[in-house]
Amino acid sequence: MKLTEALQTLREGESSRGTAFPVLLACGFTPLHLETFFGAHLQKSLPGRQVRVASGLYGDLAGTLEREPSEGTQGVAVALEWPDLEARLGYRSLGGWGPAREAEIAHQVQAALGRLCLAIERLSHAVPVAISLPTLPLPPAFHVPGWEAGKAEIAIRADLAKFASRVAECRGVSIANPQRLLEQSPLERRLNLQAELLTGHPYSVPHANAVGAVLARLLLPAAPKKGLITDLDDTVWGGIVGEVGPEAVAWDLDNHAQLHGLYQQTLAALVGQGVLLAAASKNNSDTVEEVFRREDIRLARDKIFPMEVHWGPKSESVGRILETWNVGADGVVFIDDSPMELAEVKAAWPGIDCLLFPRNDHAAALALFRTVRDLFGKRRLADEDGFRLASIRAAADFAQVSHQGPQQDMFLSQAGAVLTAQFNPPLTDSRILELVNKTNQFNLNGVRHTEVEWRRCFDSESSFLLLVYYEDKYGPLGKIAVLAGQREDHTLRVHTWVMSCRAFSRRIEHGCMDLLFSHFDVDELRFDFATTPKNGPFRACFAPFLGVAPEGPFSVTLTQFEEHCPRLHFKVETIV
Amino acid sequence: MSEVTIKEKLTNCFRAVFPTLPEASIPGASVATVAAWDSIAAITLLHVVEEEFQTEVDLDRLAELNSFESLAAFLSARTTQF
Repeated sequence: MKLTEALQTLREGESSRGTAFPVLLACGFTPLHLETFFGAHLQKSLPGRQVRVASGLYGDLAGTLEREPSEGTQGVAVALEWPDLEARLGYRSLGGWGPAREAEIAHQVQAALGRLCLAIERLSHAVPVAISLPTLPLPPAFHVPGWEAGKAEIAIRADLAKFASRVAECRGVSIANPQRLLEQSPLERRLNLQAELLTGHPYSVPHANAVGAVLARLLLPAAPKKGLITDLDDTVWGGIVGEVGPEAVAWDLDNHAQLHGLYQQTLAALVGQGVLLAAASKNNSDTVEEVFRREDIRLARDKIFPMEVHWGPKSESVGRILETWNVGADGVVFIDDSPMELAEVKAAWPGIDCLLFPRNDHAAALALFRTVRDLFGKRRLADEDGFRLASIRAAADFAQVSHQGPQQDMFLSQAGAVLTAQFNPPLTDSRILELVNKTNQFNLNGVRHTEVEWRRCFDSESSFLLLVYYEDKYGPLGKIAVLAGQREDHTLRVHTWVMSCRAFSRRIEHGCMDLLFSHFDVDELRFDFATTPKNGPFRACFAPFLGVAPEGPFSVTLTQFEEHCPRLHFKVETIV
Repeated sequence: MSEVTIKEKLTNCFRAVFPTLPEASIPGASVATVAAWDSIAAITLLHVVEEEFQTEVDLDRLAELNSFESLAAFLSARTTQF
């Protein structure tokens, strides 16, 4: 982003009528262009809101972090630089360099990091904190030549690494990856010494953009993709299995096919973090199954579901996979070595990210692995990530064997379902907000929240939060529904209700309402419903209670509920 | 680059840095006439000019490049040099 564009973006944000999004940029230097770029990158990610960046006092980073952030602050970005740890590591101080001072400088750095660590740990309980570790080169303050890492410098860097490791443990803290930043902003082009001496802003304009961008991205990470659909021949393995046979396709060094082995390893790792994986291949399925029976394969067959192996168009395979997963095309990546297949899928499903698997180009293959990491990367994993694929498979089995009408009752009564309710669970459980912000179909009104806004929903004593878990004989679905709102006399107002699509057709939504009526002993549930482009399943669920699908806020009385609620077959448990 | 082009591009730079400045006031803008032209705005303007004209401006000249006219003259001379 250029400075002119950043200024323009900020101006457009200021003139918008959206809700304010106040953030704090904590740095010990004059924030100048960093503030502009940071604000502009946030504004780009939040077009409907007004980003407002406040900054702390010059030369007092620790003090800025130790003060309570102002009311409504949605996040804090910390741009740490060496002078924040010891003034003599900057160019505006003449406190002295050289051997006599090296140990003292290193000691001071350690003490400053300790103070910052405490402040950040405390702050992270209230707001998300994004940190860029010192990005500028250390000044030539030490007695060793520049190509050698001296004792003092090594000690300083070790203390910095310890600091980073400790604050990274805090739930609300994220840290910019120095290696990626180095690729985007080369070390030698980061410092503008003249600007630092003149204005106190040490960053070159491009470096301010790079740091501002990464801090904004840490505070507002993009939603990770949910599923990956892969081709098999010349992607998961090298060779065309239909031509060379199951024993001759390869993915190892000996056969010069290591890129395919690395790709398998990447896919297996993604499944391990909850990414859905399917295959779409033009092949005979028996032949493909034989490959997956080989003992040396790095990607187990059971990690892939569904497996669409036939000679039909891949766009049709993709359609069936999306339906099985119940995921929108924009949450999915398709990888194939054939540009033609990619184009065919893209034409049918424009929302899908289509990526070429570069068979013989090692640099491009590495770039692909990195892109895949970026698209699917998650800061923290939830328990549900570990069994998402299994529960999708179970949901598909469930859908196959379940029935509508009277037979459904019999089926559900034999499912051995357990619905577990946890009232007012800890707000630190990141799965809760993840569900609220990612669920589209069974969603009361589509309202998304930042962490800070979410916590503020529960400031009042009358507020409640209900987290629902589900398990049946087909397997656990984990945490699948979140309901939140407030008690108002004999009525319960519900402002948030989301349920994972994996939990459909089990009457869990009725179970949730039953839980609310019985736990709170109220006569009426009032729902802050709003139609969204995707929440049709939610509307459909309430048509039987109201006579018509709702168009706006509505209520369901206990009498209405009792009249229209189908029979529930859950065993209900409560986590206290 | 013609003087007209230089002035048009420079006007865009002023629009970016001083969004509330009326269009008609830009050609006569200077430190003395624009209240928002403080040290932060001055350095921002210089860096915007650097980006827009793809040139480097020595920050030591900050004090003398204190008006639309002086910047236009500086850029005109710089363009002629190359």
